[in-house]
Amino acid sequence: MQKFLCLQRSLPGAERQAEKPSPAQMQAMYAQFNEWREKFQKNLVDLGGRLGTGRVALPKPAPDGPLVEVKELVGGYMIVAATSLDEAIQIASECPGLLRPGSGVEVIEIHTPG
Amino acid sequence: MTELGEHFFRHEYGRLVAILSRRVGVHHLDAVEDAVQYALLMAVERWPRDAAPENPSAWLFRVAHNRLVGELRRRARHAAVAEQHSLGVPDAIDEVPAAFLAGDVRDDLLRMLFVCCDDAIPAESQLVLALKTLCGFDVREIAERLFVTEANVYKRLERARSRLSELGLERSELTPNHLASRLPAVQAILYLLFTEGYLSSHADGAIRRELCEEATRLTHVLAEHHVSATPETFALLALMHLHSARMTARQDASGGLLLLEEQDRSLWNQREIHEGMSWLARSADGDVFSRYHAEAGIAAEHCLAPSFAETRWDRIVDCYALLERLAPSPLHTLNRSVAMAEWRGPADGLAVLEGLEPPTWLAGSYLWSAVLADLHRRCGHIELARRHTDAALDGAPSDAVRRTLERRLAR
Repeated sequence: MQKFLCLQRSLPGAERQAEKPSPAQMQAMYAQFNEWREKFQKNLVDLGGRLGTGRVALPKPAPDGPLVEVKELVGGYMIVAATSLDEAIQIASECPGLLRPGSGVEVIEIHTPG
Repeated sequence: MTELGEHFFRHEYGRLVAILSRRVGVHHLDAVEDAVQYALLMAVERWPRDAAPENPSAWLFRVAHNRLVGELRRRARHAAVAEQHSLGVPDAIDEVPAAFLAGDVRDDLLRMLFVCCDDAIPAESQLVLALKTLCGFDVREIAERLFVTEANVYKRLERARSRLSELGLERSELTPNHLASRLPAVQAILYLLFTEGYLSSHADGAIRRELCEEATRLTHVLAEHHVSATPETFALLALMHLHSARMTARQDASGGLLLLEEQDRSLWNQREIHEGMSWLARSADGDVFSRYHAEAGIAAEHCLAPSFAETRWDRIVDCYALLERLAPSPLHTLNRSVAMAEWRGPADGLAVLEGLEPPTWLAGSYLWSAVLADLHRRCGHIELARRHTDAALDGAPSDAVRRTLERRLAR
């Protein structure tokens, strides 16, 4: 199986969801996440995590032009194994909370030599 | 992986808010709630990845505690800079407990319940505060359960919070005197919480049951602590169990309400009846007879009757008469007339209501009209019966109630 890098991306222009989940909703999220993990046990190579602040290191002299901070675009990452890009997208899409208003996922094939 | 209980997150929320607000003072309630919210979110994020910790409660406590200490330090620094003051972080939060003290939890829950029932807080705000802090419901969920708007819930919470933040400055601990004088208010709020669930016309049975279970859970905390283990508390607990026993049987398969005489008594929960009866026995201690005793007595008669016809209506009439004296309400009189009609016939039932001038809220309600319609019909007063039947059907709060009335009053 091939590996795919999944990046959670905030969609440009979307309002950040201000509403906090209630304890009962959190319990439901917890159960859904466990179910999803169970279902795709074989595919989940690395559940990854949230991404915090980052900085871009540049060759000197730095080129002109805008450089965006990493965290503004990517909220978290994980690595899944799948037989095709479509399957990888399917797995990522079913992850609870990943696809919601204001957030999407970018799935990128990882080429490994050999 | 550790299996979490059905309401683990909600109950942890209540537990942690109670423990932490005791440590830092209830005037920091907002910071406490934020820290607990944060800890639960961390759990949702981390546990499925790394497997839940062996002691989830202790894990949550540690995360919430650290978050709270950090936030209060930050606030204290702010205040210090602003006022050129020395750093004044409350001492209590520096005492991080070496081990997790489970024994304190019940005390803390109980204490929080008494904090919610400060007599300077209006009862409707007390109820909302208890639902939020002790039961872990959020504003939207409370609004849904109490049939009020979210704005209304916010308003009630604000009133409670502003009172608590005043209290915080005094940093007063609750004294045994406080506890004794507030106990009736605490009982009243738990009773209210229970009836909100039991009498609710909410379509979702699970939601109604949930409120009843929360009320029963907290009343158990009350009954198991020496400051609040009084005959009234036991009677209140008895009445909750005895009502809960019949809860499932009150609905037919499609969610419609069933009359007492239509209910399948084999569906009544014997374990609940048993538990209710043993609390009722414990409540018969000393010479106290409260409204909870009267109500539990009525519920017990219904639970123990082998059939509708064999119900000891005379005792139920007596209990309602006592209830009218202890907690005067024309609603109790109305109930007594119903029981009287079963005991001595519809004419005697009507006689109970003679001379009673119902207040507008009752006169305009479907209950009042339905009882009158039923009694007049059984007495053969066709015209009166029809008039009251129409009024009852017009005033029915839900389709389930309307269908029940049609069935009953059409005969």
